[in-house]
Amino acid sequence: MNLTLVFLFRKGRLRPVFALLILLIFSGCNPFSRGGDDKVFRVNLSTEPPSLDWSLATDHASFNVIANLMVGLADFDKSLKPVPIVAKSWNVLERGRRIVFHLRDDLTWSDGKKVTAEDFEYSWKRLLDPKTASQYAYILFDIVNAEEFNQGKLADADQVGVKATDERTLEVRLKHPAPYFLSIATFEVTYPQRRDVIEKHGTKWTDPENIVTNGPFLLASWKHENEIQLKANPNFFLGKPAIETVEMYMITEKTTSLALYEQGKLDFLDNYSIPTLEKPRLSKGPGFRRVPQLRGEYYGFAVDRKPFDDVRVRKAFAMAIDRSVFPRILHGGEQPATSWIPPGMLAHNPKIGLTYNPPEARRLLREAGYPEGKGFPRVTVSYNTLEHHKLVAEAIQGMWQRNLGVVVQLENQDWKVYLKKLETDPPPVFRSGWGADYPDPDNFMKLFTSLSGNNHGRWKSPRYDELLEEAAREMSEKKRIRLYDEAQKILCETEVAIMPLFVVVESTVLNPRFTGLEYNSMSRMVLRHVRPKKVSSEK
Amino acid sequence: MKLFQRLAGEFRRNRLLTASLAFIALVTLAGFLAPLISPYSPGGFEEQRLLEVPSAAHWLGTDELGRDVLTRILYGARVSIAVGLGTALIALLIGTFYGLVSGYAGGALDSFLMRVVDIFYGLPDLLIFVLLSLFLGRNITGVLIALGLITWVRFARITRGQVLQAKELIYVEGARAIGASHVRILLRHILPNIFAPLLVTLTFSIPAAILSESTLSFIGLGINDPYNAWGTSWGTLAQDGWRAMRTYPHLIFFPALAIFLTILAFNFLGNGLRDILDPKRN
Repeated sequence: MNLTLVFLFRKGRLRPVFALLILLIFSGCNPFSRGGDDKVFRVNLSTEPPSLDWSLATDHASFNVIANLMVGLADFDKSLKPVPIVAKSWNVLERGRRIVFHLRDDLTWSDGKKVTAEDFEYSWKRLLDPKTASQYAYILFDIVNAEEFNQGKLADADQVGVKATDERTLEVRLKHPAPYFLSIATFEVTYPQRRDVIEKHGTKWTDPENIVTNGPFLLASWKHENEIQLKANPNFFLGKPAIETVEMYMITEKTTSLALYEQGKLDFLDNYSIPTLEKPRLSKGPGFRRVPQLRGEYYGFAVDRKPFDDVRVRKAFAMAIDRSVFPRILHGGEQPATSWIPPGMLAHNPKIGLTYNPPEARRLLREAGYPEGKGFPRVTVSYNTLEHHKLVAEAIQGMWQRNLGVVVQLENQDWKVYLKKLETDPPPVFRSGWGADYPDPDNFMKLFTSLSGNNHGRWKSPRYDELLEEAAREMSEKKRIRLYDEAQKILCETEVAIMPLFVVVESTVLNPRFTGLEYNSMSRMVLRHVRPKKVSSEK
Repeated sequence: MKLFQRLAGEFRRNRLLTASLAFIALVTLAGFLAPLISPYSPGGFEEQRLLEVPSAAHWLGTDELGRDVLTRILYGARVSIAVGLGTALIALLIGTFYGLVSGYAGGALDSFLMRVVDIFYGLPDLLIFVLLSLFLGRNITGVLIALGLITWVRFARITRGQVLQAKELIYVEGARAIGASHVRILLRHILPNIFAPLLVTLTFSIPAAILSESTLSFIGLGINDPYNAWGTSWGTLAQDGWRAMRTYPHLIFFPALAIFLTILAFNFLGNGLRDILDPKRN
């Protein structure tokens, strides 16, 4: 057998191999010499960002870089309400059908030019342009003619309802009132872009030597599959950040990144960099924090095929899971959930959903024709290959066996293969999750409408679709909550298209030498306010 | 028969050899009798006893889903032993036949067959394995076939070398002179005389295959199905435990120890056999 692998495997040899690995990872960037530097902050992105073009980015690694390079019209305050940042104010007119953003005039791009309303118009139309093929184009579909333009039914971009009426005024016309639209303006994909830069450099416009940004940090270098370096932007309108340099590494292996943190060679880790079973130990140390996320985990059913076309079977499976075990096996303070909209979001309602009830689950399964699980067909539960998904799947497998007498098969694939499978041929039961793009239930609940590309179980409910349409146009929060309550009841209680499992909580550790890092509930690592902790003698 | 009598005598004299063989027998038996030995199930989920350290109830502790580590290791022995023996036998069958034909035929056919072997040697094992596992799936049959296909070349080379020597010997010439058929010469005259080196190679192939399977499991390509009678292989157990090495060392230590001791035993056995069977030794 392959000698190097054998070598790697022999336990006693692991340590030198790791040392070599670590050395390899860092060779060429050598951060060790600056280990104690207060001006350098080192984090792990965990993977190479697929794109730093915010019209094309879709994943946490890309967004976590972009979020520190750029600012948009709005940002969140602590309670996740949108507050102006590039915009200095906005007016919601015509009962929510027209929104006018007034831009600040002291904001410049990194090359010195002013940030104008046209930069927003250009970026939004680029996002919608079918030629861009952005996966996030739909986020702006509430804008007049946006969907038509994106689908190619309308060629003339001028008819899309977003327009820079002058250098500092952006006017947006909506098809219908959309109470969450201001939240969308906080999302990275709506950040402004420079037409001249993109047209000049094409796909290479995000390279460090070409990119033009407006945020607290500048992209200094990008060594692919290795490291991204950011430098503080001295001209940032809210003040230059306290740290000079951010080094973002792309270390996939959690065990390696944790080892580097503990050797003082990384300053911050999140769930992507902390092995599950090391969380209890880390949580007792300094700098550890848990940040509840607007991110839910669920198992979906392929409702168009036996045996899960029977709602009694789906209910039985949902009621045979004791969700209180998840924080105990995942060690991250996960919040068990039976309903879909996560805490911290409008219309969160923990009373909705099916709770753990094995006798009732068995009764339902018997009623469906499978007493004590007898005669139940062989079904597969699929998840994408990750350590914590495997733990959850094996625990659920165990609980179903114990409570229902049904033994399911487990199967896993890498994310890309898995996603393809969900889209083309969904397995009977599949693991999935959703993290908020913007903190509004619309973003969470729309996943399961009949036409949604994320509705992998192919469940269809006209009433559900109707409720969501109505809730999306409703400006009164009270009425929206009522509508979402009814929709959630259909989704998780009466129809059980999905069974929510838990809400993700991010475990983070920050080097105690630093303070001020904000990790928000949408997995964004905001580095703008990071600064070295003042040592008392300096007072 | 004389060979076996001699072997029996050597085993009586050599304690290390006896101990190794006893250990292998013990592991094999324990693996296949695991359901009778252990009161616990290798699969399932026991939320009342997560990540316990070794105790009277759980001699080697429990894992992250409350499964008894000793039970999982016992069931894992089935995979490891089966993969070790199975792979070695598959490789022995293919490789010996191939080597016999190649060495005996000689000439252009021999050159061609040996170039094929060279090609197999040149291909990275891991690549072959990944490709094969795409077709065969991640189950015990798939692993057996894939590892067998990788290992057979060693048997082919050794057999061919032995045949080249043996076919020039007087007794083969004698057999040929009295008009024995090629098949008869190969099976009755040559094969029995090259049996000893093949047996030694076989003994060394078993631990190599166990280690290969463990390695593959460790990088995530191995056997993992706690609900199947075949259980979860030691390599997979070690891989699961590796991530928690700092906090829960028992999760990697015991599976790794099982692999280590078993391979050590097989290697002692192989060494012993080689010494006994080496005609030049005495």
